Amino acid sequence: MTALRDVPEVASRVDEEKGRYQSLMMSYAPVAAAALVLALVPLMVGGDRFFLRVATLGLAFVGYAIAFNVIFGATGQLFLCLGALAGLSGYTSGILSNDLNVPMLVSMLIGVLLASALGGLFSWISVRRRLDVIFVGIVTLAFSLVFTTTAQATRNLTGGETGMVVLAGSGTALRRSLSSYYIFLAVAIAFLAIYRAMQLSNLGWAFRAIRDDEVAAELAGINVARCKVIAGVVGSAMFGAIGALWVHHEGFLSPQTFAFTHIDVRIIVMLAFGGIGTLFGPIVGAATFTVIDEILRPFGQMRMAFYGVVLIVLFLGFRTGVVPAVTSLSRRIAGSFLDRRNRRDEPRTEPEAETR
Amino acid sequence: MMALLFDGLVFGLQLSMLAVGLTLIYGLGGVLNLAHGQFATITAITAAVLIRGGSGILTAIVLAVLVAGALALFLDMTLMRPVYRQHGEERVLLSLLLTLGAAFIIDGFLYYYYPLTAFSLRIPVRSVDILGVRMRSGSLVASLIALTVLLGLIAFLRYTRQGKAVRSLIQSEEGAQLCGINPTVIRTGVFVVSGMLAGMVAVTQGLIAAVGPADGIRFTIMALIVTVVGGLGSVSGALLAGLLLGIIYLLSASYVGTFFTFVILLLVAMITILLRPSGLMGRAVAT
Repeated sequence: MTALRDVPEVASRVDEEKGRYQSLMMSYAPVAAAALVLALVPLMVGGDRFFLRVATLGLAFVGYAIAFNVIFGATGQLFLCLGALAGLSGYTSGILSNDLNVPMLVSMLIGVLLASALGGLFSWISVRRRLDVIFVGIVTLAFSLVFTTTAQATRNLTGGETGMVVLAGSGTALRRSLSSYYIFLAVAIAFLAIYRAMQLSNLGWAFRAIRDDEVAAELAGINVARCKVIAGVVGSAMFGAIGALWVHHEGFLSPQTFAFTHIDVRIIVMLAFGGIGTLFGPIVGAATFTVIDEILRPFGQMRMAFYGVVLIVLFLGFRTGVVPAVTSLSRRIAGSFLDRRNRRDEPRTEPEAETR
Repeated sequence: MMALLFDGLVFGLQLSMLAVGLTLIYGLGGVLNLAHGQFATITAITAAVLIRGGSGILTAIVLAVLVAGALALFLDMTLMRPVYRQHGEERVLLSLLLTLGAAFIIDGFLYYYYPLTAFSLRIPVRSVDILGVRMRSGSLVASLIALTVLLGLIAFLRYTRQGKAVRSLIQSEEGAQLCGINPTVIRTGVFVVSGMLAGMVAVTQGLIAAVGPADGIRFTIMALIVTVVGGLGSVSGALLAGLLLGIIYLLSASYVGTFFTFVILLLVAMITILLRPSGLMGRAVAT
């Protein structure tokens, strides 16, 4: 028989009661720890410019993966236009700053707002029309291709397939390798904190309920539509932010920069590998595959096949992902350890509410 | 104008042939195959390699289409079986992700080993006049092939025992099972047929233009668009939508250019999903 304490909702309510003693600092300790570890990376690679560049790319993908975690991990909306959302913001920001001399930060803000509005629109429409995951997938995949094709076709605006040079970022901290690393780190950690805040709020409860069973969540009085749109808006804004930052960091963009094959598949693989719906999953996944990607670079297009294999293996055999697997393993070890020690003294201590 | 209409029909027939397999698979199992276009590219590259190796054109084509069928059989046995074990939303999601993975594996291999190989067939017959419109013989042969295949498929679904089994399974899985129909066998069979149909599209498309390794995603998206506009799971819808979109494609290609044609088609599909998710001929989609 399951004790009432084992029901997640009740457990988290009890934890909430306990939460009076738990300071705010404790709930954000995992975020701070991640920030600390990642901040030390430049020291480990010794300031080498190549490695810093790769690490910065990795951080961009951490951001992307967290954003996808908000959209897909939290509310199960399969957006297949991740690169396009980032690219919409990137192109908007690049073109505005290039052609209209809009200040860089303002142009980035406009890009983020645009991406966020579009993502929210997708969510809103799919909720209003009660679209299945299959239709959400098709609509967003179609948008992905609309975006790439438009970027290729509007040559005098985007430079077409040859791409365009964006000058606004030159001379700023975004172009220097060390400072740009920390800028991307700050953004990624901010995303992580936002994700954590969502987890801890009522919204996080609602997200988990929606993930488990949408109909049941609706019946329990959760405004599923509102939750999904919020996830769509916030996640897409994150995509926009990274996209715009990346454009000014690189100083160059082409349809390839945000291509479906380039961005979307990597993000899905990274998040699935790290653990969908977990706090650290995006970091673990992005770090792992950024490294693997660099190792596989000599194989050129064969990397695509590699990602295909990983995608299949992950979803066929390893659905949980690394972070949940490690968490449950360590908990089992700790649990059996505690069991042996405290068999007589007191009932087994429940594991701490996990950082999911 | 007449010429545009004819070209549109030629293209439309191929779109129908491409989409009909996809829509059948969806109808049978409620799953989507995002590696559909890759069956076409596999066929094209296999045929091109065989022809370069000195085999006859007809043997090369037949062998290549069989390779597509074999690949479909393999994918069905390995990837789709676990998918069918899931239910509802989970099944769709798993099918999307797994076939996307398969598409990437195939694309990766083709890009890596045959980046510059392309398949195209030249038929040494001059153009023919039909209703005062000059048609290239390649287009005519392509249309004839597509028409034969589609009519054969319709006849199969309508008149044979297996075809009826397929249709009953689309109507109701439980009902079909009660009549002694084994869904697994039917699904495998249809998956193989759909792979070979996509392969045939590569052949007919090769009569008109070159098909290379990069065309896989484009074929898949085209098939998706047609399937969606026609109504997921509806065979007649796919046929109708294919012809309709073929004509729209050619009209807009000649008036606004190829790039935006693609955008227009995608927008048509998106609008269809938003306004009428069941498509032209589809039944209301059960959720």
